[in-house]
Amino acid sequence: MKIKQKSFAEAVALIHDGDVVGIGGHTARRHPMALVREIVRQRKRRLHVVGWNNGIDMDLLIGAGCVETVETSYIGLGSFGLAPNFRRAAEAGRIRVIEHSETTAMDRFRAASMGLPFLTTKTGIGTDLPKTAPSMREITDPFTGGTWLAVQAIVPDVAIVHAHTADVYGNVQLDTERWHDTSPDVMIARSANTTIVSVEQIVSTEAIRSRPINTILPRVDVTCVVEAPYGAHPCCCDARYDYDLEHLGMYARSAADPAAIERYIADWIDATGNNDAYIDKVGARSLMKVSLKRSTRQ
Amino acid sequence: MTRTANSRFTEAELLTVLVSRDLEDEGHGFIGLGTGGRAFTMAVGIPSVAAELARRHRGIDFVTQYGVAFEPDLARTPSNFADPHLLAWPSNAQIRVEECLEYFRRGKMTISFMSGAQIDKRGNLNTVCIGRQGAPKVRLVGPIAQPDQCTYARSTVVIMPQERRTFVEKVDFRSAMGFGDAPGDRKRLGLPGGGPRKVYTDLAVWDFDPQTETMRVTTLHEGVTREDLIAACGFTVDFSPQLGTTPLPLNEELNLIREEIDPQCLMLGARIT
Repeated sequence: MKIKQKSFAEAVALIHDGDVVGIGGHTARRHPMALVREIVRQRKRRLHVVGWNNGIDMDLLIGAGCVETVETSYIGLGSFGLAPNFRRAAEAGRIRVIEHSETTAMDRFRAASMGLPFLTTKTGIGTDLPKTAPSMREITDPFTGGTWLAVQAIVPDVAIVHAHTADVYGNVQLDTERWHDTSPDVMIARSANTTIVSVEQIVSTEAIRSRPINTILPRVDVTCVVEAPYGAHPCCCDARYDYDLEHLGMYARSAADPAAIERYIADWIDATGNNDAYIDKVGARSLMKVSLKRSTRQ
Repeated sequence: MTRTANSRFTEAELLTVLVSRDLEDEGHGFIGLGTGGRAFTMAVGIPSVAAELARRHRGIDFVTQYGVAFEPDLARTPSNFADPHLLAWPSNAQIRVEECLEYFRRGKMTISFMSGAQIDKRGNLNTVCIGRQGAPKVRLVGPIAQPDQCTYARSTVVIMPQERRTFVEKVDFRSAMGFGDAPGDRKRLGLPGGGPRKVYTDLAVWDFDPQTETMRVTTLHEGVTREDLIAACGFTVDFSPQLGTTPLPLNEELNLIREEIDPQCLMLGARIT
């Protein structure tokens, strides 16, 4: 069996300037932040980032100048309000924004993950959303003659998602206790040509095989896995850890000011150089504070 | 924290009672898991307490769905909506999010609670931007699930502060459908849901004229004049021929809210002023 575990540098090197990149996670939960930080380190450019409900993941990539187009239903910082880098870039007309409802954003991935060219919906009819989204077009129901919108499948060049465990062969699992707002990660992962999964822990194949029901992505769905403890930080990660509200607050303040976000990127991303050093910089105390429940109820 | 001794009830309490009285037996309502502050009170707190009040005061059976969680225990609402807390919130079910939104597409959702940065006279909503979408004056969060809710829910209820800059002639970007551009648009476009039914604000209650499908004021809150409302609205205000004063909350309703449903003011904490 082919070993699929890679280093961050190797995995993110699979992403090229101008690529369509699907990003997993929801609002401030389980975004693949360690991979996002590596994308920033490698200064990828002109990316078309796609998700269904996003936050600091896309805001940081926009702030680092990596993004040309965003396609999702939401970019915000939860209780910290609007996403400042997204806001500045959109208001300046520096990025293109393709607007989706949550279901149509999911349908893009869902169709691709099912091997279909499109899915149909009534959502968006009569609104301004389809004007921003070339992937939404009117279609006639051949059975009733009714009008629907077809939402075209998207096949991202690369998908990045974060999960709990995997073996070195790329069989990816989530703990039984998982908050289901991140369930579309599976569709996002399956829609792409190249799928990079970061996990909290690389575990033995024996451990994976002892709980096959927890596998969300068998290795055939995965191009490579990267070990990233606290890899969703400062987002929360199911029962494993809470939001790091202090860090998110500090990020929100930095992002509000173009000079401060440059310093944030220099200090927290470039200077750390890799995920281990980033986690060291966050510090054991901060990590213990968010690790409310270090074992799950399995 | 917001209930002062000299005020009989807060605006959040008033809106909660009004929304509660409109909820129907065997209904199924969708409440998003919002974020903090005033937006939380409007989007989550009021509908949550209203549903529980309707159950306790009028004895109706009403299902509340908080995103992926079905009928969670309001008395044990976590103070923070991060995963470890939500996972431990006693609920009948936590289902996958794509399934949870299929309740809209399946026509099961009887009511959904909305708000927006802008609303127009036909109840169309905007949560995307102020100004032109390509390079807006103010960029907002995006459509979220509102287009799904407004397309598919059997009815929607809008709860938002009454301001001249938010109640506008035409929304800058139509992210969610109300009644479109002209009477009959929803039917013509084949939209399954019934559209907006009421709009509750800190000054008044609005409904929609069934002929014109435009908003009209049905009741003004106690102490609010027609002039106050006209001054706080960006479009020409129509008043219902039966214009009245908004009925007051009953002591019984207020006691249930304060003593049993939300004693710590977690839900209605952010005062709408």
